[in-house]
Amino acid sequence: MSAIEAVYIFDEHNNLLLTHTYTARPAPPSILLPLYLQHAAPRPSVLYFPSLHPPTVLYSITQDNLLFLSPSSFSSASPATTAEPLLVLEFLHRVADALEEFLGSPLLAVKIAAHYDIVAQVLAEVADAGVVCQGEANALRDVVETGPGVLNNLLGKVGLPGSAGVPGLQGGARGPLSSIGSSGSGGGAGGGGLQRPGSGLQALQPAQTAQGTAIPWRRSNVRHTSNELYVDIVETLSVTLAPSGRPLAAFAYGSIAFTCKVSGVPDLLLSLSTGGKGAGMGNRGDQLRAVMERTVFHPCVRLGRWKSEGVLSFVPPDGRFALCGYEVDLLGPEAPLTVGKNTYGSLGLPAGVEVTTGLGSSANDFEVRLTQPTTSGGGGSAATASLQSNLSGGSGPGSRSGSFKPGPGSGDSKAPSLENLTVRVPLPAAVRNVTELRPSRGEARWNPADGSVEWKVAAKDFGPLGAVLRCTIQGPPAADGDDAGAELNGMTATTYDYNDDEPSSAYQTQDSQEKRSNGAPEPVSREARVERSRELMPTSATLSFGVKGWLASGLKVESLLLDNKKSRGLGQEVKPYKGVKYLTVSREGIELRC
Amino acid sequence: MESISRISSLLETARDLTLEAARDAGPRKSTRPLPAPQIKKLLDSRQEREVLDGLRRVIAMQYANPPQATLTFFPTVLKTLSHPYPSTRPLVYNYLIHHAELDPDTALLSINTIQKSLSDRNPRVRAMALKTMAGIRVPVISQIVSLAIKKGVSDLSPLVRKAAALACVKCVRLDETTRPQVEEYLAVLLADKQYYVAGAAVQAFMEVCGTERLDLIHPAYRRLCRMVVDMDEWGQLALLKLMTVYARRCFPRRTKRTKRAQTQEQKAQDFYEDLEPEAQQENEADYEETEIPDPDLTLFLTSIHPLLQSRNSAVIVAVARAYLYLSPTAHLPQAIGPLIALLRSPQDIQQVALHNIVQVCLAQPAHFASYYRHFLIRSTEPPQTRGLKLEVLTLIFPSCSPDIQSLLLAELEHFSRSPEDPALVRDSVKAIGRCAQSPNPATSRRCLSLLLSQLHSSDDNLVGEAMQVIRHLIQRSPAEHRKTVVRLARNLDHLTSATARAGVVWLVGEFAYATGEDGGGGVAADVWRILVKGYVGEGEEVRGQIVGLGAKVYLRWLNWRKADGQVADDPEGAVKHEGESNGGDLPSSRSAVDGNDDGEVRGFREDAFADQSPTDQPEHHRQQQQQKKERPHPIELLYQHTLLLARYTPSYHLRDRARFYRALLGTPSSTELASLLLLAPKPVPQAPSPSESRRSYLLGSASLIVGEGLRGEVGERGAGLPEWVEEGREPDPGLRDEKGEERGEYVGERERDSKGLGGMSAGERLDGVLAAGGGAGAKRGKTLDAWLNDDEEEEADESEESGGGSSGEGTSSEEETETEESESEEDEDAGLVR
Repeated sequence: MSAIEAVYIFDEHNNLLLTHTYTARPAPPSILLPLYLQHAAPRPSVLYFPSLHPPTVLYSITQDNLLFLSPSSFSSASPATTAEPLLVLEFLHRVADALEEFLGSPLLAVKIAAHYDIVAQVLAEVADAGVVCQGEANALRDVVETGPGVLNNLLGKVGLPGSAGVPGLQGGARGPLSSIGSSGSGGGAGGGGLQRPGSGLQALQPAQTAQGTAIPWRRSNVRHTSNELYVDIVETLSVTLAPSGRPLAAFAYGSIAFTCKVSGVPDLLLSLSTGGKGAGMGNRGDQLRAVMERTVFHPCVRLGRWKSEGVLSFVPPDGRFALCGYEVDLLGPEAPLTVGKNTYGSLGLPAGVEVTTGLGSSANDFEVRLTQPTTSGGGGSAATASLQSNLSGGSGPGSRSGSFKPGPGSGDSKAPSLENLTVRVPLPAAVRNVTELRPSRGEARWNPADGSVEWKVAAKDFGPLGAVLRCTIQGPPAADGDDAGAELNGMTATTYDYNDDEPSSAYQTQDSQEKRSNGAPEPVSREARVERSRELMPTSATLSFGVKGWLASGLKVESLLLDNKKSRGLGQEVKPYKGVKYLTVSREGIELRC
Repeated sequence: MESISRISSLLETARDLTLEAARDAGPRKSTRPLPAPQIKKLLDSRQEREVLDGLRRVIAMQYANPPQATLTFFPTVLKTLSHPYPSTRPLVYNYLIHHAELDPDTALLSINTIQKSLSDRNPRVRAMALKTMAGIRVPVISQIVSLAIKKGVSDLSPLVRKAAALACVKCVRLDETTRPQVEEYLAVLLADKQYYVAGAAVQAFMEVCGTERLDLIHPAYRRLCRMVVDMDEWGQLALLKLMTVYARRCFPRRTKRTKRAQTQEQKAQDFYEDLEPEAQQENEADYEETEIPDPDLTLFLTSIHPLLQSRNSAVIVAVARAYLYLSPTAHLPQAIGPLIALLRSPQDIQQVALHNIVQVCLAQPAHFASYYRHFLIRSTEPPQTRGLKLEVLTLIFPSCSPDIQSLLLAELEHFSRSPEDPALVRDSVKAIGRCAQSPNPATSRRCLSLLLSQLHSSDDNLVGEAMQVIRHLIQRSPAEHRKTVVRLARNLDHLTSATARAGVVWLVGEFAYATGEDGGGGVAADVWRILVKGYVGEGEEVRGQIVGLGAKVYLRWLNWRKADGQVADDPEGAVKHEGESNGGDLPSSRSAVDGNDDGEVRGFREDAFADQSPTDQPEHHRQQQQQKKERPHPIELLYQHTLLLARYTPSYHLRDRARFYRALLGTPSSTELASLLLLAPKPVPQAPSPSESRRSYLLGSASLIVGEGLRGEVGERGAGLPEWVEEGREPDPGLRDEKGEERGEYVGERERDSKGLGGMSAGERLDGVLAAGGGAGAKRGKTLDAWLNDDEEEEADESEESGGGSSGEGTSSEEETETEESESEEDEDAGLVR
């Protein structure tokens, strides 16, 4: 049905890093890689090579610059034994996740090369003779033998606190979250735990426990000296704006990443609140479900509780995992297409972009304007308002005793911080050069390689007045009007007119067409210029940024409770340290058409 | 759902990556290669640490690129098997599986040791031994493996039973003759009460038996359906695939004709007009066929519903597949939202998901209409994704409201104007063309005018593509588009794209004759006249079309003259005849040529004169209006002139074509053959959705993505599922009945009674724990809860040791309360049942 035949891993220079064959005799990597590279990037994740014997479908994913390939041949005598594409792709993602669990994030070629023994065990455990049998990275900890020596080496990389491995996880970005729940008093304990070296994890504890793990996704016998729980909610924006600036589609794709370092088998209850959205419709669960649409969950989540009460109740795996994915339609479910109601401002995003094309005397200029949208008439949520007051307050000098700087240190939920503000304007291939770039703030750069203008504005420069970038475009030489040349070509063409030669006739045909298109009226009127430079104008612009401490959807973590009654192996007096982090990113996610 | 590593990468900054890279790039002591004798020495050591180090080096050599010879260590490595260290065993097994095939004799030496481990006290060791033994690819041991599996099947630990299930696959691959035994083992394992054993058994079943031997499934069917929620994703996938086929083979499709739900009006009508009820009942349209699903099929379909919230995209597509092919009306709508959710997964999965969405969309476009926002194209997407999104947009177009339709058209128009990507332009223009096929005339007119306006663009590529699509639309219903053709002909003055010009000329030749049927060929003749003047400046493609146009007009003229001669000499008669044969619109079309109502035709004729250079036939126009019998007809003259031009064309092809026309139309009296050739009705071009050709492939299959039927997926019967079994030929439903004594052992049984199995997950069971109280652990089939219980006891012991006696009390008291709860639940259940 679904046999994985092999996994090949290549490093960022496409050097073979690892070959693991599960079953049969798949095509070797040395043959597959050139075929894969033949395809022009971006390469599709499923490629078919009928020329190979047997014909092979190649699946590929890229993770942390490493390339994972898995071939699947179609010669098998027994029918209905071919792998489904999504199964293979999901499997490859799980392999990458599992390797990251053991080797630390990000996955690097050197790490794999240094720990072939662990990688080999992981690969052998996730699929048995090609039948995928274990997808839970955390449960693999029970079976993969890291040995006494390796574990110490790895401690820094498995995301345990106190190591330098994951600075992003422990910076001041997470507030102590005193507002969370009644039992969230673990600030002091957590602080102590932060600096503790990871010796709490018993180094020589044998991985093979006698019993199977009770819960398929959680390794058994979890022990932590400092008990910690972290909720990271990340929302990725995907907004499409019409040329008028009206949003056509606006989604926030959210993921809840959960880090659990609690001994025993904790039973957790995570309540979210909508922050005012969807008020007045049903109970809290209904409101929440109206905001968080099309949710998917880690298998640990009890779907019944979510359906009935709108809370996430679960026994987590140990360590870091993706708890939940959802999406939020920022336009609202039944948004009409009328102009009046939906403006960009009502989305409540911290920055907007406008593009005006065809400016200047010869219509060769365009202007990009970065704006801070104003919430019109209280259309935005309270969260938005507070965000904006914070943003403007933060950018002013001396506020918050000068500690408000962009960087990992800022950006808790009290004072969201905007960073990495970047506008990218792709230009048509016909554009030869961008002669002038005049940003009012920040830095702008014309990148001829991918034909785009990139404009970065530091968050501290981005005030309520916004910023402007003006560019002058230079088109192809033909546009400068050498009509004489075209005329000449046309004449040459006529001399060949009676030549029977086939190729030259083709040439002539081409030329006559060229004459047609280039033989524009000689006095180049402004209209013609505008017409011509319109083809050189950008058709889209994208805006990227990240906001720490704020979610576009307005979701908030209301409480995170550890059910002491249902949890096992955790002393009654243990109060885990809890942290919450919000992050909204737009990776070229806001796109303006123009 | 995004994988955790991708989410993490969003959270961590680039700086961290480089820091870490720098730290890790440093030299590592352990990777420095050692000479072979030294490694052997390490392996022979008595210290665990040294042996482990040696094994690590061997494994590293085995995986390193280029691979190094590690076969020489085989005996030494095997010797370490005798050590009781748990840490070295996985590595040795790994080495053994990898090398066994290369040196079977040495590998056989290890069998004895492994067999001993099969009866180890630790179930993990037993499972690993079984797994390794089956993995040794040496056919002579197949019977030993089979025996080992037999032992594993009845093992107390589910871990071992799971390993046994997976070993079945390897055993059959090793030696086909063990199949009968293995099928026996599988039948036992399929009935296992432990969900992850059953899941693995289903996976193994699919590998070993494919979709044959469905008789093994009958007894386990209901149990498997109930357990599917708890299985791991891979077991779920296998089960979904299996059950979809099973349902087609075992549940006949029963339908019942029922009366369609009536509207209010009809009801009122019925009330007052009950005098003639017979007439009402005769009406076929009042009835529709509704399916009566088998209760067992319904059990399957409802129990997989919670899987739609799985994080695994493959599972969601597999559920959608089951719904699409088993219950497209009742259940499929629930799967649409989760399918849409796949669009936010990583790029690689998104593409495959889109292929599947298109496939569902072909079957049921209306369900996707409200999700149009998800399919708006973004400039950063790869071309494959864009193409698929465009396809979805056009598929849902007919079922959208007018507001949304105009939005979608604006969208398509925007992307048809992206000069940097010709493929996108082509796709968008074609998409507009497909939208124009909408049954609503207003929308199709709108699409057409959009396309027509695109002809004015300066992008030759766009104009060419737009023309192509316009041509197809006109060909589809030429009668409606006569004026469009005339308007297009007028565009010839400024059209620059050669493809577009050729397309217009062809259209004029095919469809413009009807507008000016005076025997003179109407607009077509005039267009021809003007084009001939510019013949020299045209490209070869256009020249060919001009010659073709000339031949067609000339032929029509000949036909007309012939008919004219036959009917009467009277021109009035001829006019009448033509009028009849062409739908009787002659007067207006007559006036179209020289009259006042059709400014376009007039306009372009005047234009023709305006830019007329000194031409060789200045009098043609006049001649055409006042036909003089004594002089050759202008059409004849024009035709001769055109052929002359073509004769001195550089292109072989065109000269050849001209010679062909000359011969074909050489004798003006016999035009039958020429009419057959030139005036034959052209087949209407089909512009199906690009994925239409993939329609026969199964949702979720690789063929669907690749677009080719792949061996192994496409059997002799075709790519899809088997047809529904005929009524009366299905297996007896009684086969699926479970034996009464098994009831109540698996917690799921209780749920079925309470009909609450819909939203239950493994975690859910954890709450409802202990209906069986503490005694559940003692039973043979351990449930998840039983495991938890065990753990709890252990934990309690341990915490007491560490001085935390309170937790022990806590758990016991909790146990009491939970038992009470579950008792009350049971009462409720009982109430439901009775």
